[in-house]
Amino acid sequence: MKRTLSTAAAALAVSVTVSVTAAGCQSGDSTKGPIKVGSINGITGLFQTPEVPKAVKAVFDEVNAAGGIGGRKLRLISKDDAMDPQRSSQAARELIKSDGVVAFAGSSSAVDCGLNRATYSKEKIVSVPAVGVDPACFTSPNIAPVNPGPYALTTAMLYYASETLKKQRICIDYTVLPGSGGGIENAIKKWTELTGKTLTHKNLAVGNGDPTRYLVADKNAGCEAVLYNATVAPWFSQAKTQGMQNVDFLLAANSYTDANAKVIPAGMNAYCGAEWQPYTDPSLPGNDRWAKIVEGHGIQKTAFSQGAVMAADVFVQVLKGIKGDITRASVTEAFKTMKPVAYPMAANPWVFGPGKEHNPIKGTRFVKADGGGWKVLPEGFTVPGEK
Amino acid sequence: MVNSVIAGLTSGGGYALLGLCVVLTYRLVAVVNFALTAVGALGAFVMVSLTDRGVNALLALLAGVVFAALLSALLGAALVRWFAGHKEGTKAAVTVAIFVALTAVGVRLFGGNTTGAHRFPNPFGAPLFTVGDVVVPQSVPVSLAFAVLITVAVGLLLTRTRIGLKLQALSERPGTAEVVGIPAPRLAVGVWAGVGAVTTMVVVLVAPRLGGDFSTLSGLISTALAVAMVGAFRSLPLTLAGGLILGCLEGLSSSLDSIQKYQGVVPFLVILVLLWWRSRREIWDTEHGR
Repeated sequence: MKRTLSTAAAALAVSVTVSVTAAGCQSGDSTKGPIKVGSINGITGLFQTPEVPKAVKAVFDEVNAAGGIGGRKLRLISKDDAMDPQRSSQAARELIKSDGVVAFAGSSSAVDCGLNRATYSKEKIVSVPAVGVDPACFTSPNIAPVNPGPYALTTAMLYYASETLKKQRICIDYTVLPGSGGGIENAIKKWTELTGKTLTHKNLAVGNGDPTRYLVADKNAGCEAVLYNATVAPWFSQAKTQGMQNVDFLLAANSYTDANAKVIPAGMNAYCGAEWQPYTDPSLPGNDRWAKIVEGHGIQKTAFSQGAVMAADVFVQVLKGIKGDITRASVTEAFKTMKPVAYPMAANPWVFGPGKEHNPIKGTRFVKADGGGWKVLPEGFTVPGEK
Repeated sequence: MVNSVIAGLTSGGGYALLGLCVVLTYRLVAVVNFALTAVGALGAFVMVSLTDRGVNALLALLAGVVFAALLSALLGAALVRWFAGHKEGTKAAVTVAIFVALTAVGVRLFGGNTTGAHRFPNPFGAPLFTVGDVVVPQSVPVSLAFAVLITVAVGLLLTRTRIGLKLQALSERPGTAEVVGIPAPRLAVGVWAGVGAVTTMVVVLVAPRLGGDFSTLSGLISTALAVAMVGAFRSLPLTLAGGLILGCLEGLSSSLDSIQKYQGVVPFLVILVLLWWRSRREIWDTEHGR
């Protein structure tokens, strides 16, 4: 009797283990039920993009209302990492192992790419972030964001300063995240290769505190245009005090917010790389699609929600092109072998492809601070090397 | 290089003010207050939220100062009520927790560093004179004068007045102070309120130079602590000098290409060396005093 009981207990234990394993570990190979898609988004914490998963879901709802893909509905599973490295890694593991997502689409986290790039490669799963924040988003084999990101944007900003604004003495004052200094150096080198020009002054270690010392160094160097990517308000307040009204300042996309436009004093020249068609003008080509989605669902109009709609759209388009079952393996294969997708909101066609690093969008449009808002400049997209 | 050092020196007054607020709190209530700039930043943001709605700047400043004074008094009251007998380390840890909580609330209310940028009133932003290539605005002598005023006034208060004596007793021996009839809790809460009010004025004064968003202003505590370390949390004149030293070092380190990459670390390294040097002398004195 005792032996029977222990055998039964062992059998029960085995069956529980098997069922837990079956339920708790999915490979993304399911060919029935909804197509599960993961995303890691900063919703709470210091980097907040709550509009991103809402906009991705809005696109998926639209696809589902029209019958889904191959008769299967799209289901977005978004996890908030709160900019917490531990939560971000855990979210990726859970989405891959427990939820069995086929891919990631529309992630927007400041820490996801750097932390989870190895996991994505190991699990042979692709991620199409709405916003690549961390430079690792642009140097990983299984990640391809839809925004130009810091490297391509820097080359485009330098190109705009030298070729469009026709400035001779160009300088750069950047805060660079640990490990991404090499990427910025390469971006500068690329501009030099394209234009034959070099920087007059470079500081890639701009820190917190009073910016006067950096501005004085720019004045000493005779800079006519300065690329800048850190805190906006004190920079322009002190640039005004130092009498730098004749210098063109070019800001990176992280500064393209309504609040920043209001803190730039009148008389200062501040340009900003908008990454996509500037979101402050919904009537621009390509913005109509995005505006329809976000307005229809009461989602905040930001550059981040533009990335969300674009990431969801290109993701759906690639999935629709898959012949046969939609599984993690077939989705990864489809992205690695896809043809470029034209998307009018971005500077050039987007493609994932087989490479070891991906930075498919190369150009940006520019806006200029004007009367407490951003004015869209008429030049169209600036793509380095394309006149 | 000279221009960069001069530029750095012009930041010194603001840094000194921040450091003085830390030392002031420590001298008067014996707490290393990590929540100091978070409280000041909240007061400052109460002010700009009102000016954004068209309220007169002076009235808004008064509202911000009163708000921060009350918040700081509340924090002080909590520390007096529940942590009076605890060690300094415990009290400091409590203020760290409050710093984290206030920063989270502030960022939620007033936005992050790109979405929550505000233009603070800059009444002293007009150029005064030029040294080399550096334009020195009115805010530089104003900050320095404010820093000297705090240094002298608090110095006199502590050494020349009856209330100063009581405050020193309270800071050094709170239990004994109460036994001899000094109304310790009420006095301590009053000091906390005063520190909250002064810190808000300091944050409003330095905001146009040092940051327009909540998290940057709240994070000024690291600079404030670094400056306070130069004065070893006790000496007000040395803290004033510490602000100017930090400004100079920042200017110097950003102008030398070889150390530019490490410019964020250089001032703190120098301060560590200074501290080590001071403590070395103290150990020497202790050894020979036996």
